Amino acid sequence: MNPYLALTVLLLLAGSMFMLPLIPALVELRRKSDASPLNVIQQYAGEIRHFADGFRSYTKELEILLRESQHSKAAVFGTLPDGTDYLVLGRGDEALRLPLREENGLCSLLIATNSDLVLPPDIRFDKDIYAGGQFVGGKKNHYRAILGEKTVHLSTASRVMRWVHAMGEFQADPDCELHGRISSDRSIRLQKPCSFQRLNAPRIEIGQPVETASDAAAGHHTAPASTRRLLHDGDFAIPAGDVFQGNLVVRGTLRVGSGATVRGSVKGDKGVVLEAGVRVEGSLMSANKMQIGPNSIIHGPVIAERQMVIERGTRCGAADQPTTVSAPWIDAQEGVVVFGTLWARELGRVAASS
Amino acid sequence: MIYVLYVIISLICIYTARHYWFTLNRLFAFQRHPYIDIDTADWPPVTILVAAHNEEKVVANILVALMAVKYPSDKMLVVPVNDRSTDRTREIIDEFVTRFPGRIRPFHRTGGKGGKAAALKDAMELVDTEVILIFDADYIPGAGLVRQLTAPFFDPEVGGVMGRVVPMNCGTNLLTRLLDLERSGGYQVDQQARMNLRLVPQHGGTVAGVRLSALKEIGGWNDNSLTEDTDLTYRLLLHGWKTVYQNRSECYEEVPETWPVRIKQIMRWAKGHNQAMMTYGLRLLLGKHRACLRERIDGTLLLGVYIMAPITLLGWSLALAVFYEGIAPLHGVIALLSLTAYAAIGNLAAFFEIAAAVRLDGNRRRICLLPFLILGFTVSIFSVSRAAFSQLKDALTGAEFHWDKTERFRKAAS
Repeated sequence: MNPYLALTVLLLLAGSMFMLPLIPALVELRRKSDASPLNVIQQYAGEIRHFADGFRSYTKELEILLRESQHSKAAVFGTLPDGTDYLVLGRGDEALRLPLREENGLCSLLIATNSDLVLPPDIRFDKDIYAGGQFVGGKKNHYRAILGEKTVHLSTASRVMRWVHAMGEFQADPDCELHGRISSDRSIRLQKPCSFQRLNAPRIEIGQPVETASDAAAGHHTAPASTRRLLHDGDFAIPAGDVFQGNLVVRGTLRVGSGATVRGSVKGDKGVVLEAGVRVEGSLMSANKMQIGPNSIIHGPVIAERQMVIERGTRCGAADQPTTVSAPWIDAQEGVVVFGTLWARELGRVAASS
Repeated sequence: MIYVLYVIISLICIYTARHYWFTLNRLFAFQRHPYIDIDTADWPPVTILVAAHNEEKVVANILVALMAVKYPSDKMLVVPVNDRSTDRTREIIDEFVTRFPGRIRPFHRTGGKGGKAAALKDAMELVDTEVILIFDADYIPGAGLVRQLTAPFFDPEVGGVMGRVVPMNCGTNLLTRLLDLERSGGYQVDQQARMNLRLVPQHGGTVAGVRLSALKEIGGWNDNSLTEDTDLTYRLLLHGWKTVYQNRSECYEEVPETWPVRIKQIMRWAKGHNQAMMTYGLRLLLGKHRACLRERIDGTLLLGVYIMAPITLLGWSLALAVFYEGIAPLHGVIALLSLTAYAAIGNLAAFFEIAAAVRLDGNRRRICLLPFLILGFTVSIFSVSRAAFSQLKDALTGAEFHWDKTERFRKAAS
């Protein structure tokens, strides 16, 4: 074989092998099949009512039918343009006598009514529900999502998979499992035992309310103007009854004695323990676990990166200063009140008082 | 010579291991987003500084976006820092001041020292809020971004906040697509892994925030720094303040669309970073301050990322010299095994990181472009080395640094 030809063939082969991984790259560069910017949601600001607002727009198509049905008191079955089957009820209590439950315990109809809605027990509702009046669900029901224009009441052992929004009060009886987002424009009350993930309302009550000394003291306050910060390596304790002025960062575990007041924000890197009746006028942060003793008052956001226990009678935020309480796992005891957001990324539980 | 080569190889191996550690952490470990849940709060007053030097093409876009953000309008003041602009920037800003009375207070700077840090330093006379957010004029913040960047300041340990930068013009050409991949790797993996591991997330100087009391404690903006963001990161760290990264606080930016602009940009970053390394490197690693051991090590490695380019070039040269001098130990067997091992694992580290980042972002087909990153790396390694040599020359001759603004490519808003 001609040595020049052999060399040329060798070079061509080597070049081809070198180019091999570049072929998909060249194709993608030319076709631009995945060249759009990463989808950054510009208008969505994380509002808890996002899905409820979306569903309200979605049900606009049923508006006329809802009005007519309310007037005629008749039930209407139909199908929306996207293929979703619906049932519009003229009288909400009609749901109790209609055969909503299929063989496998499922109801795959979107249910909507302009009246009060009362649902029978032991049904898995596969589609969203709209109630123009008060909503009362039967025991052991499973819901995908509920939008209630007035109060929403879930009976014992109900389960929500995605979201509920109540324009009025929201109440969940014992043993309910509330996955996803639960919001109310007025208040949320959960009975023990219940589990939850993300709750938002002007007032969130866990279990039966308890009268505490903190009721009177929990009102509006003005955040301290001081920005003095104490940074402490190792563990740190604020003695019982003391007043700490300024912000405090503890690289170890922070313990705040009973009845102490912090006029600022505090953080403990390895954990935070608040004894009974502590008052924090700023935020409360822990890079690990957090235990908030009974009858405490926290005004600012409360964040624990691992786990949080909130004991009975504690109040977070105020009616005119809502706040956020968040941790992956939260145990909230009866009598806890949060004004704003209570968010357990993994699991929140309504626990009995210790 | 061989011992210098050993040191260089060790350094490269450390950085390789770091790439893998970060990527595996990002893929499989617990992800920290401690402040992202704060959606309800008594939000504090905020000042938003918008750095603008000859930004007539883009400044209107950011002002429109900021006027639409979901933050209490009585608690938010936008301060466009018009730094000696000679184009229509001033005129455009003043139009917005008229349209949104009380919400925008412009700072028109007509003289003084050049550079973003100097401009921000002068603009501080208009700032009296504890929380300061900073955007470059080519960024377009979304509706929830101001709240997201403000939320970490409820933590009294936090002195600085950094959000994620997302190229909006990534589909323009090969360069923008490569920069898009690099940004993914840098933010989605590097920064988030540092956040997860409680290391040193870097303040980027835009889509970012700083606490006024922390800034005062560390002596304010350093107008002698070429990269005020890196400088800020390290001064905050040395004073016991944390910089945190918010991976879900994303904001669109414009990346360079031509290679000369990109080279100029990366050379400025390299010089600024090296400057910070010279200023804070030894003090961070060995000095008496509030940073913990893991922050000292990670911070030092982060300071060294740009100097690794000339060190790698030196390593290549030494490897060739060692080969031709015939002084490889054990007749080159160790070198051959090392080379094979590194070729199999080490070279892939950066590609693995970027591929993981792109995958985490939910994109698939753009991973095909990974082989082209060699082109980007080659340009970077020579540009960054050139910057280091030029910086060395400047230091020897006493020449002063000068600040180059990155050219914009967007068409001016009508």
